[in-house]
Amino acid sequence: MGILFTKLFANLFGDREARILVLGLDNAGKTTILYRLQVGEVVSTIPTIGFNVETVAYKNIKFQVWDLGGQTSIRPYWRCYFPNTQAVIYVVDSSDTDRMSIAKEEFHAILQEEELKDAVILVYANKQDLPGALDDAAVSEGLSLHMIKNRQWAIFKTSAIKGEGLFEGLDWLSDTLKQRGR
Amino acid sequence: MSGHDSKYFTTTKKGEIHELKEELNSQFKDKKKDAVKKVIAAMTVGKDVSMLFTDVVNCMQTENLELKKLVYLYLINYAKSQPDLAILAVNTFVKDSQDPNPLIRALAVRTMGCIRVDKITEYLCDPLQKCLKDDDPYVRKTAAICVAKLFDINPELVEDRGFLETLKDLISDSNPMVVANAVAALSEIQESTTKLIFDLNSNVLFKLLAALNECTEWGQVFILDSLSRYKAKDARDAESIVERVTPRLQHANCAVVLSSVKVIMQQLELITSTDVVRNLMKKMAPPLVTLLSAEPEIQYVALRNINLIVQKRPTILAHEIKVFFCKYNDPIYVKLEKLEIMIKLASDRNIDQVLLEFKEYATEVDVDFVRKAVRAIGRCAIKLERAAERCINVLLDLIKIKVNYVVQEAIIVIKDIFRRYPNTYESIIATLCESLDTLDEPEAKASMIWIIGEYADRIDNADELLESFLETFPEEPAQVQLQLLTAAVKLFLKKPTEGPQQMIQVVLNNATQETDNPDLRDRAYVYWRLLSTDPEAAKDVVLAEKPVISDDSNQLDPSLLDELLGNISTLSSVYHKPPEVFVSRTKVVPLRDEEELEVESGPEESSGPAPPVQGLPTPTGLPKPAPVNDLLGDLMGLDVNSDGGPAPASPAARTAPPKPILLQASAAQGLQISGQMVRKNGQIFYDLTFDNQGTVPLDGFMIQFNKNTFGLAAGSPLQLPTIAPGSSAATELPMIPLQNLPPPGTPLAATLQVAVKNNQQPVWYFADKLPLQAVFLEDGRIERGQFLETWKSLPDSNEVLKELKDTVIPNVDILLEKLNASNAFFIARRLLKETNQDVLYLSVKLPPNLPLLVELTFAVGDPGVKVAVKTSSTEYAPLFFDAIDELIKSI
Repeated sequence: MGILFTKLFANLFGDREARILVLGLDNAGKTTILYRLQVGEVVSTIPTIGFNVETVAYKNIKFQVWDLGGQTSIRPYWRCYFPNTQAVIYVVDSSDTDRMSIAKEEFHAILQEEELKDAVILVYANKQDLPGALDDAAVSEGLSLHMIKNRQWAIFKTSAIKGEGLFEGLDWLSDTLKQRGR
Repeated sequence: MSGHDSKYFTTTKKGEIHELKEELNSQFKDKKKDAVKKVIAAMTVGKDVSMLFTDVVNCMQTENLELKKLVYLYLINYAKSQPDLAILAVNTFVKDSQDPNPLIRALAVRTMGCIRVDKITEYLCDPLQKCLKDDDPYVRKTAAICVAKLFDINPELVEDRGFLETLKDLISDSNPMVVANAVAALSEIQESTTKLIFDLNSNVLFKLLAALNECTEWGQVFILDSLSRYKAKDARDAESIVERVTPRLQHANCAVVLSSVKVIMQQLELITSTDVVRNLMKKMAPPLVTLLSAEPEIQYVALRNINLIVQKRPTILAHEIKVFFCKYNDPIYVKLEKLEIMIKLASDRNIDQVLLEFKEYATEVDVDFVRKAVRAIGRCAIKLERAAERCINVLLDLIKIKVNYVVQEAIIVIKDIFRRYPNTYESIIATLCESLDTLDEPEAKASMIWIIGEYADRIDNADELLESFLETFPEEPAQVQLQLLTAAVKLFLKKPTEGPQQMIQVVLNNATQETDNPDLRDRAYVYWRLLSTDPEAAKDVVLAEKPVISDDSNQLDPSLLDELLGNISTLSSVYHKPPEVFVSRTKVVPLRDEEELEVESGPEESSGPAPPVQGLPTPTGLPKPAPVNDLLGDLMGLDVNSDGGPAPASPAARTAPPKPILLQASAAQGLQISGQMVRKNGQIFYDLTFDNQGTVPLDGFMIQFNKNTFGLAAGSPLQLPTIAPGSSAATELPMIPLQNLPPPGTPLAATLQVAVKNNQQPVWYFADKLPLQAVFLEDGRIERGQFLETWKSLPDSNEVLKELKDTVIPNVDILLEKLNASNAFFIARRLLKETNQDVLYLSVKLPPNLPLLVELTFAVGDPGVKVAVKTSSTEYAPLFFDAIDELIKSI
């Protein structure tokens, strides 16, 4: 009887790990966000040449979070990670207004991907702690988020250094994914 | 292909790779690990699993050490084939090199060193830098080796990042294993560069000696090998080194023992005190003896090294000769080496014992070993004057056994003994002569004949003995013939009587007229002239006193010996060849921990690969992309290039269109021949241009054609003036078919082999293409009705088809004109409405009388011409296809 129940729960809440990609330009703060989520601390990072993968448990959902390097040389290999992805966290350096258009191009290229057509999109407008950082509305504008059709998405103001906004975003993500699971 | 055929390209079968891919991406760790194991298994048996690269690399970040190791193994194998994707692994390496677990840190840095991908090497420098200064010695020692690996990939990077300095600092490390690996890495780097990187000064020396006692056996080997390169300042310095190294002689590992011996041998050179030297030599003997109780392979390596050591310092093992006595069950290669060392150690004191052994060996069953044993006795006789008689007695005993090969071998060595001790032992000649009839090996025969000739005056029946050999003179090998000649001359000079005089006449006649061996003939002439001019002078020359010989077989040149002694315990000392002879130093071999084991690889490798010769073209570069490149042309190194580029602008070629070059000036001492076969007024001409780019005028040209498919031969001699250097001459040589036919059954060939000679140069050969269109006959036209009839009468199997894919016919009328001029006659034309294609029917006649019926199908202006040929001899079809292709393309 006990076994039966665990199986039931497993199905309900998804013992499956949700596969989540953290993408974005280089120096957007992807790796910092990953470790802030996982260990709750700010770790010193170096540019990620390759990837980091960690399991983050939050609200009964296990997220298998893949943080991929954002360097131009590595972006072509993002596609190797697209299959079976439930959600994409797109991290934007809100203070880097110069490269907002590049961030937009990369973002829309991701949206076009056939393999990601069912993925939920969560945008982190990161580095809100920096002066001159654009707010979420301005980032939405910069990324042309309004053009997203037929897909669930959300944008959150975050500061990985201060730990603000990250878990709110994760809340939205877990809720959205749970709904889909049903 | 119609649309619904596409289903054949999509398959429902996904295959093993797909299954593995899914398993690699599985949620479950066990399943993942199993999948990686399957991948590694597939990789090990040689299946290509490189397409799973990203999937495997994605399994890299794991807590599971086993899984991590497997992924690393995969990376080492496939990073090279996926250089772009390898970058995905960099971050994991960086992370792993900071892992709390030192095993993982070391594993990461070791694997990084094995990934030879330029793109990622620079990313690996930072982790390497950290690992070189790691707290854990295991990580440091691994990182040290990694520097050597990195140096092999990118020396500049290593120097720029200051790794060499860090590596040198590691020599002062507190951990002996780290010191050993740093030394190993530095030595490896030093070997691959001419710059002085690893400077062994007294400061470094002290640290090495301190680490020596504490590190592992292989670490000791590295340190000892480096020490052997140290040049001690003086005797005291040398003594102190030897003092520290001597305890290593007791080590159980034979590599350590041999490396210690190497160091001591080097330093012994400098030590002056005889007491110390004697003492050291006493200490070196027991460890060397101990090596001989190991497995036969190690024994062999030890024996090869001991061979060098005793050549330098025979006294070390002078009292240990008994350990070199062969055991009945020693492998043959060990026995032969032992024999060699026994000879080197034989002395007046132990010779009786040694001779007893040799005599025993000479009665064994292994023929090769027996022969070597008999030779050994002879070499001892030559080496030890006081023991010579005893040796000869042993040899005589062996001759009495009357085993053929023993006798022959004994005679060969007795000849040497006679050379060494002239006029001392000739009393035994009578015994030797008893075996005269049984000799059948050239060397033994030659030796016996030499003995007879040398002692002709003491042997009463010397002339009879030689006579018996002379009967077979013409059939004897050169070696025997030469000895017979000399012996006959000696006999004649010593006993100038009638018998020998006749004999010398016969021999000289034979040797000068009946032979084509220049050595023999020349020597016979020399003797002949010598004898006919001044027999007394001949005596002085032929019977002169000979210099004394000594046994120097297998003796090495002193400088080579010293070099080899510096390489004791390496392949070099086993081969007895300096390293550069069999290893090319241009590229370093990646350092492996088991490097020292190479010493044990067997003697069968003794002929190491020769270093590649620079500046020579590789064989693959030789064949020229010429369609008429036939084997003959290739073999002779000719440049057959008839379709080739335009001929160099020579005065004659400037006006006429360039003809294909048949013979390149570079291949024929400046003579360049270009030309082609043409048909004019019902006759074939070979239109040739001779261009003299050499330095001498050329005249007297002649030409010859090899037998060829249509029997083409020159219709007249080649008419050419003298061609001065820098000028050229052209001629049209009429050709007549069916003169020069190959034997029936020879396969058809489209090549014509030509030989050209002149008065100044050797004969040049080249090959030209035999164009079928040149032999199309003028009377090849047939009537439509006859064409149809012939077409129908021939069975379908006589029809051959070929599609000329790239050929375009731009205009039918011009084509027909061209074809008509080339004796390909137009019969009819038909238009295929549905495909808008033209069909032309042609007739052609080949000599002597073979009609070809031709059908060309094509669309004007579009590439692709279908050619169908119907004839009773279809073997001409391929040649015809080439001909028609050329004709169409020439419009």
